[in-house]
Amino acid sequence: MVDERKREQLRGVLRECGSVVIGYSGGVDSVFLATVAVQVLGPSNVLAVTGKSDSVASWMEDTAREVAESFGIPWLEVETREMEDPRYAANPSNRCYFCKSELWSRLSEVARERGLRTVLDGSNADDVGDHRPGAVAATENAVRSPLLEAGLTKAEIRAWSQELGLPTWDQPAAPCLASRLPYGIAVTPGRLKQVERAELALRGLGFRDFRVRHHGDIARLEVHPSEIARVAEHRAAILAAVRDAGFRRVLVDLQGYRRGALNEGLLSAQLVQLGSAA
Amino acid sequence: MSADARIAAAERALAEHGLSGAKVEVEGHEREIAALRVPEAEWARMMGPDGVRLADVVKAAGFRYVALDLAGPAGN
Repeated sequence: MVDERKREQLRGVLRECGSVVIGYSGGVDSVFLATVAVQVLGPSNVLAVTGKSDSVASWMEDTAREVAESFGIPWLEVETREMEDPRYAANPSNRCYFCKSELWSRLSEVARERGLRTVLDGSNADDVGDHRPGAVAATENAVRSPLLEAGLTKAEIRAWSQELGLPTWDQPAAPCLASRLPYGIAVTPGRLKQVERAELALRGLGFRDFRVRHHGDIARLEVHPSEIARVAEHRAAILAAVRDAGFRRVLVDLQGYRRGALNEGLLSAQLVQLGSAA
Repeated sequence: MSADARIAAAERALAEHGLSGAKVEVEGHEREIAALRVPEAEWARMMGPDGVRLADVVKAAGFRYVALDLAGPAGN
């Protein structure tokens, strides 16, 4: 159940924004936000924009396009060039800042060109406290977060998405492919493609909530605890497919998938948390 | 603690916790991964609560991640 006050608060924030450009990845949050924005503001006041780059899995791009078409969300794809920024490619612990700086500046340009007043992202109440260096870039570009402002949690967004009939309501979280590379391992199109190929193969085997972590020539698979028993069943197929994606050795993490596993090696001073970002 | 010392400590701890015959190798650009090879008979039970418990044991020896080699004990 979603609290009626939160529903009204979200609608109120959107009305206050007037006309919007939404950072639209095709994930649960941005699809939901774009759908409600169209309901509240009308399609002529909404533009959902997907940043296209090597760090976005092609299936996410497909989801973004298909949902926009099905639900009448005005949609645009723009190329982003974070890969050309050596500060991003070096993959420091604040890598997301450089990516989001590029994304939000591109979306701000789009908003100016089209006379749309406010740029929005899909951050929600559960993101507070996570390592989110990209939130600094959002603040610098005056990006608003209506889901967060309304206090909506991920569970509430999923529940409301289901009510709306959105196919993304139970979609696992799907951050960009660069998030599979440990900090300090350079982000290259080739490495991202390896991750995408390996993950596509696992999806083909029916796995839903997992990550292929890229440790050079090692792939370390994190599979959600609810699915990890199936690894034994599909062991040979996984091994073949992940090796075929270019990894020498394939490991499966015994603790399974957990959000932010690659942040486990960071010192507290390196963490930038949403809610504390200025 | 050197990598060699971590390996010996991890293998000893695994044996003490009921997993004999496991081999630990070090992987990762920061040598942060303990890569385990276990006897085939032990493989399936590692994919569950036993695996999580044993991962904690190995992490205590100084590793950030503990993972099982899909290629099995022979590395095929």
